[in-house]
Amino acid sequence: MKKFLAIALALIFTGLTAGPLMAADPVKIGVLVPLSGIAAQGGVELRDGSIMAAEEKKTVLGRPIELVVEDTQLKPDVAVSKAEKLVFKDDVKALVGVFSSGVGLAIAKNIDKLGVPFLTTHVMTTEFYGMHPLVFRSGQLANDQTAIGNIRGIAETPDLKKRKYYVLVHDYAWGHDAGNRFVQLAKEKGIEVVNPQYDKAPLNTTDWATYISKIKASGADGVYIALITTVIPVFTKQAAEFGILKNCRIVSGAAPGVTELEAAGENGVGIFGASCYSWDLERTSPKAKEWNQRYYQRFKAVPSDAAAHAYVGTMNLLNGIDKAGSLEAKKIADGIRGQAFEGPYGKVLIAPKDNCARNDAVLTETLPAPPNPYGAKYYMKVLKVYKADELGPPQ
Amino acid sequence: MGALATVVDLILNSLVLGGVFLIVAIGLNIIYGLNRVMNLAHGSLYALGAYAGYTLVNLGGNFFLTLLFAPLVVGLVGLVIERVLISPMRARPMVYTLILTYGLMFVMDGCLKYFWGKETRFIAMPEFMTQTLSLGPVQYPVFRLVILLAIAAVMGGLMLMLGRTRMGVNMRAAADIPEMVSAVGVNLRMVQMGAFVLGCVLAGVAGALAGPLFTVYPVMGHGMLISSFVVVVIGGLGSLRGAIYAALLIGVVQTLAEFFITDLAMVLVYMMMALILVFKPRGLVGEGKFE
Repeated sequence: MKKFLAIALALIFTGLTAGPLMAADPVKIGVLVPLSGIAAQGGVELRDGSIMAAEEKKTVLGRPIELVVEDTQLKPDVAVSKAEKLVFKDDVKALVGVFSSGVGLAIAKNIDKLGVPFLTTHVMTTEFYGMHPLVFRSGQLANDQTAIGNIRGIAETPDLKKRKYYVLVHDYAWGHDAGNRFVQLAKEKGIEVVNPQYDKAPLNTTDWATYISKIKASGADGVYIALITTVIPVFTKQAAEFGILKNCRIVSGAAPGVTELEAAGENGVGIFGASCYSWDLERTSPKAKEWNQRYYQRFKAVPSDAAAHAYVGTMNLLNGIDKAGSLEAKKIADGIRGQAFEGPYGKVLIAPKDNCARNDAVLTETLPAPPNPYGAKYYMKVLKVYKADELGPPQ
Repeated sequence: MGALATVVDLILNSLVLGGVFLIVAIGLNIIYGLNRVMNLAHGSLYALGAYAGYTLVNLGGNFFLTLLFAPLVVGLVGLVIERVLISPMRARPMVYTLILTYGLMFVMDGCLKYFWGKETRFIAMPEFMTQTLSLGPVQYPVFRLVILLAIAAVMGGLMLMLGRTRMGVNMRAAADIPEMVSAVGVNLRMVQMGAFVLGCVLAGVAGALAGPLFTVYPVMGHGMLISSFVVVVIGGLGSLRGAIYAALLIGVVQTLAEFFITDLAMVLVYMMMALILVFKPRGLVGEGKFE
């Protein structure tokens, strides 16, 4: 009898104390972003977008959300070991974030070992389409979608269509993919590319003088760049110093972020490119305006595309977990598949066919900003909105 | 753009790139030649020079003042490093200072991140330096021409200092036969300290020049350190004359390779270094010194 009473008391005590504690145990989500190196600013914006989503969502499966942030240093090997630390030591139930296709692919290729869903919010390589049941993309447009947007934009703009393009990319997975897509689509649309084999600059390039000499020597009056966006101000600054921006228009495979726009200043004016998001969307979308204001109030920073991507991606992940009703990896993945979130740039659907996002996109041109509450001096003016099914791929 | 304009463009690009490598590499060589210290923190000192320039311009200072201010700051930091870290290690084998400066590189990188943040910084230049100048068939950035002039002035000043001043003569003598310099009553420690500080000053000059050219970020010195080591190895460890030839050679090879065979540009540079190490271990002009 005494033994029975002791067990009963222990159970009651456990129920009274441990019960609420267990209910309050947070669901941990690993956030992998570069917080040092050339993409550090983009990493901060991605992190802030995820933080904003977690703060607004508040709970998943009735439990608080805890984001565990790790710095990938933009290095694939570092990112993989940080992912292992997040999964095996911190016990995160999913991974989100990542800047750069090289880093994203490294994590995706280790996903069987990691055993948790990985949703990237900023990786553009097309290799992510249907790559693995646990690997998703929600956020940044993929290279094929961006290339379609850019080529359509060029084809529909007389001043851009008549130009001859020099293609310059960063020498890694995303750059190659972006270069190939642009060259192939340009050929189909009759847009002249002077170097179909395109130039691949090492990631650590700091002096662009030789590449600029090549552009000058080629006779091109348009440049298509697929460079890590933090490098865009450096490239445009040097291009301006050499005087090529007087005659050349730049089309960018990845839209420069808000910090890069400010850093590039006048040299960045006129950059043309397709992207998911620009804060200028608030001219036509109340939802974008509301999100911009919330972001600005929370972080006192200009609402950026990277933050918007991370916000939407994290929301899709968290809603996917709720939909799954479980923290089991396969069930979370099933929950994310087909998930759609109506965010600052409209509906972003994770296509069940290939685990990758379909959403509308904007065609933009960088210009001096009109008076705005965010203190931005330059912005990506929205020229046109493309519907998701115009950019493909078909679902 | 015509072929002649492209050639002029490439020659000038080679000189600018090689010139920046040269200033950093000469600093490394002077430090090695007199102290037998392979200063792995040299790239971080170069970055410090760039940040010093950035800070001065950001505070409203004159851009040209950075060319004095940055070397002064880096020289003072170099003096502290020499007194506190290098001098006590001088009697020990070179590997001690190698490891010490390797650690120092990370400490300095951490300090740069702590004080200036991780973001890339841009140094605003005077308006006239953002323009291009017509040089026959080619339009070339004024700022790059200013860099070329500055590099020529620094090298001229350095040659005068080494050739015509007592300190310079002592340094050259101490680099060759340190015991003899001591024997004639010259304070060898003072000469070695002067050489270390001079090497750091040159890193500061290079940083101040390269900051506006390549932009400023905490680990900007890492790539420069590697390129400068390539120059030092090809020119011969401790050889100033060799460094000049090697820097020009690397500038030309890297620029031409980037122009014609981009994918193999750095492969060519490192292959050249490997061949020099195997077939001419004392460098291009055979003046290299080894421990």
